[in-house]
Amino acid sequence: MVKLSSTVSIVFFLLLFGLSNAQANNNYTNTLTFKHLVLQQDTSKKDSTKKSVTIDTIGQMVRASQKFKTVRDTINVRTSAPVPNLSLQQIIKGNLAGVYVQESNGEPGTEQSIIVQGASNIMFSKKDNYALQPAIYLNGVPLVAENPFAFDVQRYDYNRIGPATNLLSQIDIDNIQSIAVVKDPFELAKLGPNAANGAIYITTKNARDGKRDISLNSYFGFVTAPSTSTVNGVYENNFRKPFYQKYATEENYANSASYLKDSTNTAYFGPSNWNKQYYSSSPTFSADLGITGGNDRANFRFYGAGTKNAGNADKTSIDRYNLFFGINMAPFSWLTVSSSVNAVRLDRTRNKSLRDRFAESRYIPDLTSPLAPNADNYSAFLNETDKDVDINKTSIVNGNISLRATVGPVILSSSLMVDYNEGIRDYFIPSTLQAGVSYISNYFGFSQRVLVNNTAEYTYKFNDNNKIDFGLGQSIQGDTYKYNYTRAYNGPNDFVKILKVEGDPTKDNYLNTYSNSEFYIFRYIDKERNNLFSVNASAKYSYKDVLTVSALVRRDGSSNGQPDSRWVTTPAFNATYNLKSQFLKDSKTINELSLSAGWGRTLRLFQDDKFAAGPQYKSESGWFEEPTIPGYGGILGINRPYSSGFIGYGISLPYADRTNISLSGSFLNGRITGGLSVYNRNDKNQVIGIPVPVETGYSQNYQSGLDVNNKGIELSANALVINRPKALSWSTSINASYNKNKVVALPGGLQELTVGTDRITVGQSLGSYWLYTNQGIYNNQSEIPAGRNFNGIAIKVGDPNWKDYNGDNRIDEKDKVSTGDRAPKVVGGWGNSLTYKNFDLNFNLIFALGQKAINQYQASRYDFVNSEAGNDINSVKEIQSWQIFDNQKNYPIYNPWSSVDAYRADQDLFLEDASYLKLRSLTLGYDFGKSNIFKKSGTPFRKAFLYVTAMNVFTITKFSGQDPELVNYNGIYDGANLPIPRTFVLGFKLDL
Amino acid sequence: MKYSNDINKISKIITLVLIVGVITFGNLSCKKIDDEKSTRLATESTNWKTFEDSRANLLSIYGLLRSATVADNAHWLMGDLRKGDFTATTRSDLKAIINGDLKAESPVVNRITNWRAFYAAINAASLFIERSSEIVKLDPRYTPLNNNVDIAQARMLRAFAYFYMVRIWGDVPLVTSSHDGQFITPPRTNQATVLSYCTNELLAAAKVVPFRYGGTDPILPGLYYGVPWNGWNGIIFGRLSAYILLAHVAAWQGDYLNVENYAKFVMDNVPTQSGVDEAFNLEYIDMGNLTENVPNSPFAFKRATLMVGFPFEQTTGLSTANGHIEQLTLAKPYVPKEIPEMFVTKDSILKIFTSPLDLRFSIDPSTGNYRTNYFYNFQSQRPIFNKIKCFGSSITRSDYMLFSSSLVFSRLEEITLLRAEALAVLNKTSDAIAYLNQASALRGISYAPAPGQNTPENAIDAIFAERRRELMGEGWRWYDIVRYNRIKKSNGIFITKGNTPLTFAQFEAQGGIYWPVSRDVISANPSITQYPYWQ
Repeated sequence: MVKLSSTVSIVFFLLLFGLSNAQANNNYTNTLTFKHLVLQQDTSKKDSTKKSVTIDTIGQMVRASQKFKTVRDTINVRTSAPVPNLSLQQIIKGNLAGVYVQESNGEPGTEQSIIVQGASNIMFSKKDNYALQPAIYLNGVPLVAENPFAFDVQRYDYNRIGPATNLLSQIDIDNIQSIAVVKDPFELAKLGPNAANGAIYITTKNARDGKRDISLNSYFGFVTAPSTSTVNGVYENNFRKPFYQKYATEENYANSASYLKDSTNTAYFGPSNWNKQYYSSSPTFSADLGITGGNDRANFRFYGAGTKNAGNADKTSIDRYNLFFGINMAPFSWLTVSSSVNAVRLDRTRNKSLRDRFAESRYIPDLTSPLAPNADNYSAFLNETDKDVDINKTSIVNGNISLRATVGPVILSSSLMVDYNEGIRDYFIPSTLQAGVSYISNYFGFSQRVLVNNTAEYTYKFNDNNKIDFGLGQSIQGDTYKYNYTRAYNGPNDFVKILKVEGDPTKDNYLNTYSNSEFYIFRYIDKERNNLFSVNASAKYSYKDVLTVSALVRRDGSSNGQPDSRWVTTPAFNATYNLKSQFLKDSKTINELSLSAGWGRTLRLFQDDKFAAGPQYKSESGWFEEPTIPGYGGILGINRPYSSGFIGYGISLPYADRTNISLSGSFLNGRITGGLSVYNRNDKNQVIGIPVPVETGYSQNYQSGLDVNNKGIELSANALVINRPKALSWSTSINASYNKNKVVALPGGLQELTVGTDRITVGQSLGSYWLYTNQGIYNNQSEIPAGRNFNGIAIKVGDPNWKDYNGDNRIDEKDKVSTGDRAPKVVGGWGNSLTYKNFDLNFNLIFALGQKAINQYQASRYDFVNSEAGNDINSVKEIQSWQIFDNQKNYPIYNPWSSVDAYRADQDLFLEDASYLKLRSLTLGYDFGKSNIFKKSGTPFRKAFLYVTAMNVFTITKFSGQDPELVNYNGIYDGANLPIPRTFVLGFKLDL
Repeated sequence: MKYSNDINKISKIITLVLIVGVITFGNLSCKKIDDEKSTRLATESTNWKTFEDSRANLLSIYGLLRSATVADNAHWLMGDLRKGDFTATTRSDLKAIINGDLKAESPVVNRITNWRAFYAAINAASLFIERSSEIVKLDPRYTPLNNNVDIAQARMLRAFAYFYMVRIWGDVPLVTSSHDGQFITPPRTNQATVLSYCTNELLAAAKVVPFRYGGTDPILPGLYYGVPWNGWNGIIFGRLSAYILLAHVAAWQGDYLNVENYAKFVMDNVPTQSGVDEAFNLEYIDMGNLTENVPNSPFAFKRATLMVGFPFEQTTGLSTANGHIEQLTLAKPYVPKEIPEMFVTKDSILKIFTSPLDLRFSIDPSTGNYRTNYFYNFQSQRPIFNKIKCFGSSITRSDYMLFSSSLVFSRLEEITLLRAEALAVLNKTSDAIAYLNQASALRGISYAPAPGQNTPENAIDAIFAERRRELMGEGWRWYDIVRYNRIKKSNGIFITKGNTPLTFAQFEAQGGIYWPVSRDVISANPSITQYPYWQ
């Protein structure tokens, strides 16, 4: 209803303006001065004299606030543009203070995580990670993210079902005006509950008046194959030999891996040359065209781009097509209309890894013989993968239409914003790749957000020195998420790659796949809707340019909240004191200096509608290995959510309280700018599942009361160190942020909470690992304290010596300690720009320090006995496991057959420092547009910039795996993610 | 110019009206925010309202109990492995269970020793018993008679869950109401109390439930939830199921007099329940039905022959990889898998299947040929136990490892052998032997004690030997060993714990016959303690 009525209203709007604009055009000679629509400034030009007022009011608000924070919180678009980044995450990585981006997979288009100022909740599963992501605003539209509810029907959460494409790959840097992170409590409160995790605010280049303006950008380059040291069965046998020599029984020998038994088998013992086919240098390229034109009455911008971004392994790539159209009109002096539409298509070519394949098909064939390292065998496998169908298409349309009317002293604005994205995946695995069983899955899903936002602004001036800006705002937001998903097994042959449906509309099972198909089919359908309604009122008092004090109060209602607590009122305040104007008017060295303090409360929304329902019934009767059992006796049953957890009444919406104090300034005529801010955020009343006595039937009970504190310091500074426009100039910018995360309280006064193999402890970081402390190995019986046991299993020679903290001679969970952290303590980046005449050299270093990772890849390699016998998803041996890394660690030789599970991953033996420093990009360019030859010849080029860029040049780290970034969201390094490639491109940027 | 100004003015007014309109209209429509009903779940205000709700909630109890028993193949891991006939190939957790090392560190062992899933079924049953009568007032299609029968089923399922748990864990907390929304921490209840509760509940339920649902049974005539008997047989529990469960509870208690009473009731009523209401016969199954999935197989289909158990019908999308004996035992050529996870060694096979006439397995002494009904490739290092191999209708080999065999708790052969066991214990040896031979008649063998050997003890041995053969891979072996040793009261060494030899009685007294509970159970409810044997 909400959505419909709003849409209807907007259609009226469009009709009206179509009409009025046409009529206005009849009288085109009427030269109104166009006050409300002014140029967007290109941030690359340092021209701060003009005031920038733009069409979308939220953007305006944020940018207005950015004005004194530009130094801290925005991306340098000029130096980012020549770097062939695909996604928003890659663009901002290391470049925004307080923002931690983890690119855990080098496969182009895969999901990446952004955490702003520390995590507010647990990060043990992928679903958890979805709930930590900040809101992304594109031209004022809060983009709708994928809903994690699909994980409910998944057995493995490596990838969400469907294309699982990173939706933020839609951001194309060449069409970007600015990217800013919003962290100020007052501004976040103004954005509302969508932005509870912080917000990234993106403004695209937009229409403007003035001369016709055309820009053409393109690059072409390669991602390069990494150098690899491959190994074969000989290496693996040598690796295993000491275990067998030390501990094996006759029976263990008899059961040793069969593929390693026959050393004459060239598949495993011949040359290990799979890498030539697995890793490859692949082209990556892009071209885009932007045209801006019009006059001060009506102007437009068009932008179109095509990009191919490739990975260097497993022939992965993504194709992206962007279309953007923006238009501004001023039919009357008091009214402006602006609209922009952004359409993106993302087509992804995904990896062919066994793990992702089995996780999708939920079918694990016999894994006794892994993929062989020999190129002949591997190409035979690749030939079979050519029969695959793996279509991953994501289509995104978002846009807005905004009206802004000046009615006397009041400015009214109204905007309709829409974001819709849909994903399709058609997947087929031939039977030859899955032990005789073919597999098909079809996915269609969409996420949709419709938002109507209305504001009124009024300024009351007491006198020249004192004024108050009043604001009123109201918005309605409706989200819809839906997917249809079908899995089917064992088709008639490998030529049938689609599921037939009943085509006769008169039949009951019309369009049903069951009837006509020779496959064994499972179907899943889910849909969820939620609404958010908000009103807010704000006032901002200004005294000269010295002091501003702002206050805001808002009331939000979410349909995902429980009926008695879904409406919540939250306030926010800010005060900014311009120290320069007050005390340092005459200072020549200090040009700007201001102190700002803010406090705000933001409501946090539930991603799932289940909390609104209170005690409920679901169809949930499966078990760990088979989570989606479709009922009993052909009937879908309903029961309490025993396995997912009880939800009672009295669960209220969580909220975040933020305090922020910033000092920012500009010195030496703007040659040095800098900012320092401290923040303290308390995420309160969050919901978490508490284990309950299992005799109640439930695994857990969801309760409110998880409080998490994040505090930190952020520093950023820009300096124009050398400024000789005719010769060498050097400007540098650095940002660094420190975060400390702490669990403040758990529901019901609990001090600790065990979640699977992890533990949350009050006073510790949420990202802590919970591990046994490994102190070496028991080499002989005399070293083992009498009666020492591990969970009741007697410790024997060859078992690890785990520290018995409580001294009860029994190693159990009481001897596990919280240690290490998944999240880095310090993140940041250092960018440099050197210009000499028309040459331009940029390089960007990024770092993340203090995070640890569990090297599960090595754990399961050493635990070959159990991982091979298990025949489960962890037993999968990928082709790339036939290689070794230079800095690979060696671990003690424990008895791999021991009942204590000597190489268990929950011990500090496998905990490693994953800190890193990377040279993220290096660009050298020359601007022919400024060169004398071009100037003399009178070409119309304003800019003709030719450049070469190298990306991911080097990494400095102690981490023993392939790359310290390739660690999963939960801190586990499993070696399955594809490497982040080193990329070289040659490109040009033409403006005319 | 004037004209355009007028237009300007009019447009301005219209626009303002519309802007105001949007704001107001938007606000009004947003009163609907509270009305966003979830389509993914049922709430207290939408459940327990209709006939369909009753059916969905009732069948869910069956589904939950099925999941509890088969999850991680627990029914077989717990029933067939310990001191059983199977040998594990590579899986260390299976080896540990076979060796009685039930505390081994393994995710599977940790999951199967957590009894939560049983209590989920119990809670769902209690909730159904407490709440389903609300529907009678709201939906005229739901009659009190129908409701009574449904509640009786819920009580039967709850009793079955408790009995099943007592066999595994001994003393278990007895929770008999839903305590909905409360999280109590009950201690273990003495198993005698739990078992007598089971008996009372089953007896009460047995008085109410019909023999057949949806058919012509005078207790509940007419379609049941719109479906006739051949749609319900083998799916839901009727009166015979109740009596079979009663017999088993009594047998576990050693009350063989009652075992005989209950088993007699079952067997006396079999003829009246066979071949009625267009269903397949309730009968002793022949070799085809036992091992080749022909149409009256309780393993492959929902049939009256599945007297107590839970089907996984392939046609309703219930084939799964996990939750079936096949996942543990099958390999090439039945499924594309190199080696099975467990198998029966050649030596054991020869020891167990002694008769050359046995249709399940025997070697023809003259030709040396062997039967492959139970074991394929007997002469190899790892014979494949291929008795159960269900992939849907009549398919016994498949490229894909999704299985559809039922969990068969009891069938006519099983209850007949239990009756024979009771009669033997009660010293009615000739009757016992008669029932033993009745159960094994379709297997080609017959027990006839040698002259002078016709003792109840020998009959008991013969009966348990037949159970071992007939019910191999059906999750009975460990519980049979326990009952056998209880009957035998042998003073020989049953097991050695550490270096201490224990007789069966000592072993049982320490709680060794039971499984330890997962530490997750104890950490969530500290009033649960481990048996001394597992401390």
